[in-house]
Amino acid sequence: MLTANEWEVVQLSVKVALWCVVVSLPPGIALGWLLARCTFRGRLLLDGLCHLPLVLPPVVTGYVLLLLFGRRGVFGPALETVGIDLAFTWKAAVLSSAVVGFPLMLRAIRLAVESVDPRLEGVARTLGAGRARVFATVTLPLAAPGVLAGSLLTFARSLGEFGATITFASNIQGETRTIPAAVYTFLNQPDGEAAAARLAILSICLSLGALLASEWMARRLRRREV
Amino acid sequence: MIEVRIQKRLEPFELNVDVSCRYPVTALFGPSGSGKTTLLQIVSGLMRPDEGEIRVDGEVLYSSSAGVDVPPECRRIGTVFQDSLLFPHFTVERNLCFGFELTPPPDRRFTFEQVVDLLQLGALLDRRPATLSGGERQRVALGRAILMSPRLLLMDEPLASLDARLKERIMPYLRHIRSDLEIPILYVSHSVSEILQLTGQVIVLEQGEVLAHGDFFDIVHQPGVLHVAEAHGFENVLQVEVVRSDEHSGSTVVRFGEQELKVPLCDRPPGSRVFIGLRANDLILSRTRPQGLSVRNAIFGRIESLPEGRGTQLVTIDVGKRIVAEVTREAVEELGLMVGDPVVCLIKTHSIRVGGDVE
Repeated sequence: MLTANEWEVVQLSVKVALWCVVVSLPPGIALGWLLARCTFRGRLLLDGLCHLPLVLPPVVTGYVLLLLFGRRGVFGPALETVGIDLAFTWKAAVLSSAVVGFPLMLRAIRLAVESVDPRLEGVARTLGAGRARVFATVTLPLAAPGVLAGSLLTFARSLGEFGATITFASNIQGETRTIPAAVYTFLNQPDGEAAAARLAILSICLSLGALLASEWMARRLRRREV
Repeated sequence: MIEVRIQKRLEPFELNVDVSCRYPVTALFGPSGSGKTTLLQIVSGLMRPDEGEIRVDGEVLYSSSAGVDVPPECRRIGTVFQDSLLFPHFTVERNLCFGFELTPPPDRRFTFEQVVDLLQLGALLDRRPATLSGGERQRVALGRAILMSPRLLLMDEPLASLDARLKERIMPYLRHIRSDLEIPILYVSHSVSEILQLTGQVIVLEQGEVLAHGDFFDIVHQPGVLHVAEAHGFENVLQVEVVRSDEHSGSTVVRFGEQELKVPLCDRPPGSRVFIGLRANDLILSRTRPQGLSVRNAIFGRIESLPEGRGTQLVTIDVGKRIVAEVTREAVEELGLMVGDPVVCLIKTHSIRVGGDVE
């Protein structure tokens, strides 16, 4: 059904989306917990900064990433000396879709942590568990459906990421050409319409599946609350 | 020995407590929002006071002047709340083991089997908290707290969410914990009858201040204390011995001291000891034993004090044990009741509530 070329595009997209979830999870869980459980100076600002990619044009996000992590960007030379070259590689595609998808991940985890009764954590502490153990044995397991829902949502968002990726990671076949970039490319070719349609249908199916799974997890979380 | 001297600014008042208690069970008593729950949170370490000092058995757990603040996980203070707060994602067994496994073996005072037997949890071990009844949940919560071998148990209205029948069934377990396991308990409750089944030692809190502290019947005279106790209907609790049951008349005769009472028929054998409850406003006072009344019970006593309630008059009477009656002020004036006068208390059999067994 798909040509080898298109198949490569799909594989790359899934790989980028999976890595996007993997790199967003640790900061997502840490910041989600921080925003749900702690009050500190600058909390509102941090919250705003984390949600900024949700409303910013993705092209602008990509441009900012280029300014920060590009070869001539602020951190580019420093990264290059330790052997990390992001720009125009699939890792750059991961970074840009992770930044754009991060607010979705953060919001889901934060809501999930907020739904855990803090008194359960208090009881766990009086029973002899330190903060870290309480988090690992009580908070995280109870928030797990929310964490999973957030991961699925981020996965779906990453599959659809175009603007930031094409700005920061470009559109290089076999390296950074994900499904949206490929559809865009095929549409610009005189005989590419059939390929674009095939990829578009596949894209719809993948995204819808991830969204439904995410919604199902979120529902499970809500049900347990009542 | 628990010594608490703390201050904590709260809205709309300041919690200001300075007490020390050395009794197996000390009850914290007071209206809603008087600071009882906050005080328990501070003792457990989940909330930090503004200043002061907390010691348990001489060990300093918190001291603002010495800069000591032992975290809750190192205090070894168990907690049981009104809504049992079991971990919903664990089975009963894992809930029970949570604190047990975190307690170093040399510090463990009870075995898992011992506590499971005591609270009769054997059949519940594989169940999830969501499938348990309210009474079962509270038993699991008690077991979980005991298994961490606490040096002090804090209980915040542990029976409040249960109906009267279930309360009677949990109460013996609480008395077991008090008497057999020898764990001191700080017990928050609204209910005088519940408290008196466990202890006479009471700390009365109102608006964050300690209103009174001591033996309940010694402090009950104080006006502030009485209106707190009255708010929920004052109920006397007596320990009595079953003499005989008469199914024909539908009553059981019980004895306390030299006097006998007829109570609603109960299925305990003669010689067994039970608690009975007499509501203060169900007691009728008389100078003499009247004739031609349907009331079956007349007990004789002597008036000890006449504290004023809110709109009513309270009379504490020594009937071999101290009980409180609530009557109108006019009645006291008409009868000319004075401290030291002999008096007859009349009680309808069916206004007496038969409670749980005394161990």
